[in-house]
Amino acid sequence: MGEHVVVSASELSEGDRVVVELEGREVAVFRLDGDLHAYLNWCAHQGGPVCEGALTGTYESSYDREGNEVSLSWCREGEVLMCPWHGWEYDALTGECFSRRSVALPSYPVEEVGGDVVVTL
Amino acid sequence: MSTQTGRSPLAENTVVDVDVHLRIPLEELADYCDEPYRSTIKRPTYTAVHRSGWDRYMGGNIQKESLPDAETVYRKVCEGFDVDYPIINAFPVLASVPEDDRAVNMMRAYNDYLLDNYLDEYDNFRGLLSVATQDPEAAADEIDRMSSEKRIEGVYVLNSGAHLPLGHPDFDVMYRAAEDHGLHVAYHASAGAPFARDFPIQDSAINRFMATHVLAHPWAHMLTVTSLLVNGTPEKFPDLNFSFLEAGLSWVPYMMFRLNKEYGMRRREAPLLERSPEEYIRDQFYFASQPIGEPNDPRHLERILDVVGTENLMLATDYPHWDFDHPDALDRHLRQFYPEETRAAVLADNAVEAFDLSI
Repeated sequence: MGEHVVVSASELSEGDRVVVELEGREVAVFRLDGDLHAYLNWCAHQGGPVCEGALTGTYESSYDREGNEVSLSWCREGEVLMCPWHGWEYDALTGECFSRRSVALPSYPVEEVGGDVVVTL
Repeated sequence: MSTQTGRSPLAENTVVDVDVHLRIPLEELADYCDEPYRSTIKRPTYTAVHRSGWDRYMGGNIQKESLPDAETVYRKVCEGFDVDYPIINAFPVLASVPEDDRAVNMMRAYNDYLLDNYLDEYDNFRGLLSVATQDPEAAADEIDRMSSEKRIEGVYVLNSGAHLPLGHPDFDVMYRAAEDHGLHVAYHASAGAPFARDFPIQDSAINRFMATHVLAHPWAHMLTVTSLLVNGTPEKFPDLNFSFLEAGLSWVPYMMFRLNKEYGMRRREAPLLERSPEEYIRDQFYFASQPIGEPNDPRHLERILDVVGTENLMLATDYPHWDFDHPDALDRHLRQFYPEETRAAVLADNAVEAFDLSI
């Protein structure tokens, strides 16, 4: 337990990530949309290195019953974290899994302190 | 392979993985082929084994792994997954080779390649010889030829895109050879081009890989199990064991009970059988865990495992394919639901019995 400096803030630009080992756990810190996010690098599916996966987009779809039309749109480009093992998708901004509503990546408090990025376990 | 530190619970156990795949480059395979097939396979404009064009790797975001040499198998499967005995298959898609004579020549080449480049390299490696189902007589000859290799433990039969259902009497010569040499028969299904051969109309109407991939493997196994039982193959060859790879387990109860029901009503159409289909399945058939089902309530998987029977279950990863299971995907259920001796049986002992493994 405790606070850990993982990288200096200037080394983590918008869209970047860093994966570090803290207290025996692999933790990734992302800077996305100006905010920092820290997640465990452990896919809820089978333990794959999810935080090393692509930041991509995904499809959303809806059905208009009245018009009997299905709309399909590619969205969230750069905000969907996809596990490289089996493709499980997570919202990179919240850690929530797209295919399992009750599943989310464990997250940790992370902030900039005096020019450093600090994760608290 | 594991991204978190800590010793795997599997490290303490003997673990057999019954489904480890190679992807052998055709230019290397060609050197094991005879002419004129060698030149045919080497022609760069010629797709020797047709592959389908599905987006298997989600735009490249799912990693495409391969096991290009024995050392990589050892590092990734044995060390990475704590697997003590990987049972390796060459994964040839011979059913898609249009010329039967070339498929037969490639069959021999795949088997020689597997021996030379993998099975001879590490003492704990075991392998399956592949057969071309186009020519059951040639398949039987190949089983005879390979049977003296001590690390060959069984026969790998691709049952998607096969030319006849695999219980057809034409294949009896192949099964007789396998039984004579004490070799296990492992069926492996496949999506993509082989599925398109099995179900061309449906395949042409499906436009997402997920749909073809969900359907391809259980359909192939359902056809094979049905064909074997209606034709009485396990009765003809009572010392033969069969296994079914790459469709998980949940399809098995349905087929077992439906075959029982039909057998009761239409026994004269399967007159070789002297027992219920379920009894043959429980006695001679084994099922590989991958892809393990993922019910929302894990207790439902326990019920499936109980119905299929843990004594008929073997661990498989299907590594390095994109839909592989980490061994823990099965083992976490075994640890949760079963005593240690059951867990040990599924992780190794059942495979030792099914394949009569020399370990």
